[in-house]
Amino acid sequence: MRSLIVASVLAVSAVPTAGSAQSSGAAPQPSTSPAQQDPKQLEAEIAKELGASPSASPAPQQAAPPAGGAAPATGGSPYARLLLLPDVSAIGSASLAYDGYDVEKRSPRGGPYSPAEKPAFAFEELELGLQAVVDPYVRADVFLSFTEAGAGVEEAYVTTLALPAGLQVRAGRIYSPFGRLNLQHPHAWEFVDAPLARERLLGEESLGGPGVEVAWLAPLPWFSELRLAGQNTTLVEDAPSELTGVARLLNYVPLGETATLGVGLSAARRGEGTAGAFRDLGGADAYLRIRPTSGRAYLAVQGEVYARKFRGAAADANGGGTDTGWWTQAFWRQSTWWGYGVRYERAPSAGEAPAGTEQRASGLVTWFPSEFQRLRLQVGWDRLPGGGGGLEALLHVEFGIGAHGAHPF
Amino acid sequence: MTFRSVALLLALVPAFALAGPRVVTTTEGLAALTREVSAGRASVESLSRGSQDPHYVDANPMLAVKLRNADLLVDVGLDLEIGWLPPLVNQSRNAAIQPGGAHRLTAASAVQVLDVPTGPVDRSRGDLHPAGNPHFLTDPRRALQVATAIAGKLGELDPGGAAAYQGALGAFRTKLEADLARWQAALAPAKGRKIFSQHRTLTYFLDWSGIVSAGEIEPRPGVPAPPAYLAELVQRAQREGVKAIVVENYYDTKSAEVVARHAGAKVVRVPGDVGGEPGVKTYEQWIQELVERVAGALR
Repeated sequence: MRSLIVASVLAVSAVPTAGSAQSSGAAPQPSTSPAQQDPKQLEAEIAKELGASPSASPAPQQAAPPAGGAAPATGGSPYARLLLLPDVSAIGSASLAYDGYDVEKRSPRGGPYSPAEKPAFAFEELELGLQAVVDPYVRADVFLSFTEAGAGVEEAYVTTLALPAGLQVRAGRIYSPFGRLNLQHPHAWEFVDAPLARERLLGEESLGGPGVEVAWLAPLPWFSELRLAGQNTTLVEDAPSELTGVARLLNYVPLGETATLGVGLSAARRGEGTAGAFRDLGGADAYLRIRPTSGRAYLAVQGEVYARKFRGAAADANGGGTDTGWWTQAFWRQSTWWGYGVRYERAPSAGEAPAGTEQRASGLVTWFPSEFQRLRLQVGWDRLPGGGGGLEALLHVEFGIGAHGAHPF
Repeated sequence: MTFRSVALLLALVPAFALAGPRVVTTTEGLAALTREVSAGRASVESLSRGSQDPHYVDANPMLAVKLRNADLLVDVGLDLEIGWLPPLVNQSRNAAIQPGGAHRLTAASAVQVLDVPTGPVDRSRGDLHPAGNPHFLTDPRRALQVATAIAGKLGELDPGGAAAYQGALGAFRTKLEADLARWQAALAPAKGRKIFSQHRTLTYFLDWSGIVSAGEIEPRPGVPAPPAYLAELVQRAQREGVKAIVVENYYDTKSAEVVARHAGAKVVRVPGDVGGEPGVKTYEQWIQELVERVAGALR
């Protein structure tokens, strides 16, 4: 409920901006009769009388068109309750992992892994999605995550639908608009697990938490969006949350008929418990997608770079240097049924591994028996600083049931 | 830059825009129909290409940019665009083109829908369209109903051009009625003959032409055909005299060709929509190709 209130406060506070834009554009012409008046001008005048902006109110809704088949004329629709249900979906995933070394101690991570040289099955996650419009002003998307460790709210937010001036606000529990991968749920990833750099430098699961985000789509001929978010983030489970400010600028440009390039820049500052102690994060990401118009095949090449620096008292505790990491991958969806990927990554080592840079190279084969299921085999080699590390293999199955909203690009 | 000048700039943006309504359609077929009735007043742009499978268009953010300034969004509906249109509409910040919005026209609302599943529906039956078959533009009678709905909507949004839109619609109707007579004559010998299609894309074409479907190459929507199923199709083709397998050019023809070879039938490649082949630029040209190729194969 708190997030709803935040959204409506923001919607109302956006009103004066749009109102003054409207009135400064069209000079009033009192001499013309109402019938001859320009509708925009009339709208502006009525808005002034009502003390509200015309664009603050949602567009008038049409009456629902009559259904193709004959609707029952008497007794009303027996499906009324069903029609009001939100879209419900569940996405489940399970894995079989084999690791040739002690991942837990030498390369700690959130993704699926097994004890050294002992294959292990794991139920990864069940994501329950509930999605619907709330009213003419906002829609809501709720994603609950059930894992063997327990249940939690992955994301739950409202998104405005009718703000003027290219603005859109999301409020609730949201993933931070930092980088490309961080905004995606695991089932939208091409590889089974997250790159090590993202976990080591951003957050154990993903950077996110309760807060609000304002996104502005610039009035340009290409896609250029600036997102600013303020939220409380928790990086490690049960650790205290800290106020975090995030900014992201994302541009997509077409490269001919078949290719699209997206380039993003992200920055964040997070409090670190005491006054004057901060964690600064920076990131850059690129996404190139090549898809001939006919057929299902495409090639997606992408990568991200992250940097982290502690400031003030936090630098004394964690060191004042800049930690960096990056990953790059290519995924080729060869056909409706098959896809192949390769990935290379570098990240600061963690756990009992010697300090330095950990490297990992992975290959991926994906089989899509249908749109609603995929089976993946991911095999990688992890190299710890000073040698060590070893083989990592994952067999992963994922299924989706129900109506799950389509993902952004 | 002061606040006032920013506000002024924002207010001026619409002044640079085109005089007529900007129409964005999801498919080239809808764009072609809109052009027929737009009387040159509206600008028309399609989000997908005719050579693309409309079920699997990418939700490319560049398309959201096109939707941002749209005065009218015309979509097919019946969940054809479910995999890509909703996130684009959300990203567009255009409140009026939301489903049910005043500047949104869902073409399916103008036609009688076929293939509405009866009884229980689940995905063991494949990736079917639970609301009914969305490929209704292959029937020119229904296309005319859609064109009528578009002309009406354009008149509503641009009252000054209402008469022009109705005039253009009248001219299109006259042209199409002459075509209909010619096409029906070309299809008359094929009436009652049987064909296979790849996907259930031709239900409405068959409903109009009187040609009969003997089945689909995919056993269930979006599910690949196993050899046993293809063998059954070969037998069915021989038993029921299926001479043509019609496949839109955005589909792979491997399975269709196997069946054709064993059954002595012909694979008929057709453009999946207006713009599906270089020479197919108008709705009439598209149906002309469909009629010629299907009737030709059944001759």
